Amino acid sequence: MELTKNITLGVYLPGNTAVHRLDPRTKIIASTILIVILLLINSYQAYGYFFLFISAVIAAAGIPPGYALRGLKPMLPVLVLMWAFQLFLHSSPDADVIFSWWIFSATDAGLHLGNMITLRVLFLFTVTTILTLTTSIVSLTDGLESLLRPLKKIGLPTQELVMTMVIALRFVLILAEELDKIVKAQMARGVAFDRGNFIQKTRKIFPVFLPLFINAFRRAEDLIVAMESRSYTGGKGRTKMKTLHMGRVDIACILIILLFTGLMVLTIFT
Amino acid sequence: MNLSVRKIVISGILGAISILLGVTRLGFIPVPTPAGHATIMHIPVILGAILEGPVVGLITGAIFGLFSFLQPGAPFFADPLVSILPRLFIGPLAYLIYFLTKRINTIMAYALAGAFGAATNTVLVMTMATWRGYLPAEVSISIGVLHGIPELIVAAILTVVLVKGIQRVRPVDEQTSIKK
Repeated sequence: MELTKNITLGVYLPGNTAVHRLDPRTKIIASTILIVILLLINSYQAYGYFFLFISAVIAAAGIPPGYALRGLKPMLPVLVLMWAFQLFLHSSPDADVIFSWWIFSATDAGLHLGNMITLRVLFLFTVTTILTLTTSIVSLTDGLESLLRPLKKIGLPTQELVMTMVIALRFVLILAEELDKIVKAQMARGVAFDRGNFIQKTRKIFPVFLPLFINAFRRAEDLIVAMESRSYTGGKGRTKMKTLHMGRVDIACILIILLFTGLMVLTIFT
Repeated sequence: MNLSVRKIVISGILGAISILLGVTRLGFIPVPTPAGHATIMHIPVILGAILEGPVVGLITGAIFGLFSFLQPGAPFFADPLVSILPRLFIGPLAYLIYFLTKRINTIMAYALAGAFGAATNTVLVMTMATWRGYLPAEVSISIGVLHGIPELIVAAILTVVLVKGIQRVRPVDEQTSIKK
């Protein structure tokens, strides 16, 4: 059992397209707007426009379409099940029955609802995938910090919060290595992790979790001492080695997103 | 509001464990239901809340939510209202339960905090999934019962074992989360 061989934190696909070069702040804002639009969409026509827009973005970012959809594969069975649940279990009194079998009956209202929800999940997934494929986790964190900065005025410790994110990202890999050692050590002692029923499998978690957490806390205590002895005082007066800059491509992107939002608002609310 | 170095570091490391459990699939116990698996990814959030207080629980929950949004394990987690929002409540609620019951018996308080934290995750995620229309209510309730109960039991036991274990490596003056 190789647990930690292929850990991918965010599946960044390096490139030099206009989408890659966008400021991470622009990308976060644009993705947020697209997600909000998706949460409101309620017609096939609007989804059609959205599909065209997203396809254009995927093409502009130079992402192979198969690659963008690959992450969806393990979720497909659940997606189909979700669609079927809506189709058969949605009940409304005046809906036309398309067909019925045993105690199940599919209505056109259920079909419509199932399609809408499946499409929404599909597009939400595509939007976050495009964001993580074209933006490295580091620049995402930078962008997030910069966007949260105004919240400092109301007393939110934004730089400290981003510091926790950075520590988390750094420690995933360190702890992954440690986890690998623990798992191997337990396997050498004869623990078969992939065998057994629910209860047996659950019981095998304990000899892995306990050393993992205890070691993690030991490392945490060391890091606390290290940071305090270097007088870490949070974000006050701290500057960045690399600063973010908005360029022409960002202005163009914001204009495009605004135009698209206008189109979507027109389609959704008329 | 000021975050101490201790709170920053512990939230970060617990967040890391939560992410790690997600990417290695170690945090999932396969259960044959539509959601696919019972999860123990919220355990670090509960531990953070008990050991360091509600703020650490909240931040760890936010990291957990953000990652389940960016790398969704089930389709409806692609909706931030299902993946991020409910996870913010796990830590503060677990802390509240711990705070209210710890005078009676600390071991019981750990177990209850673990159980309530897990239940918060299940109930709120399923409620949001239903409210947003991804799952019909009947299905949500049956998933909630099928997953929620094993998750709740596992969380209660794991919380007690882990808190007891971790307290051995913590400095003596930091062993309670009420200290300011």
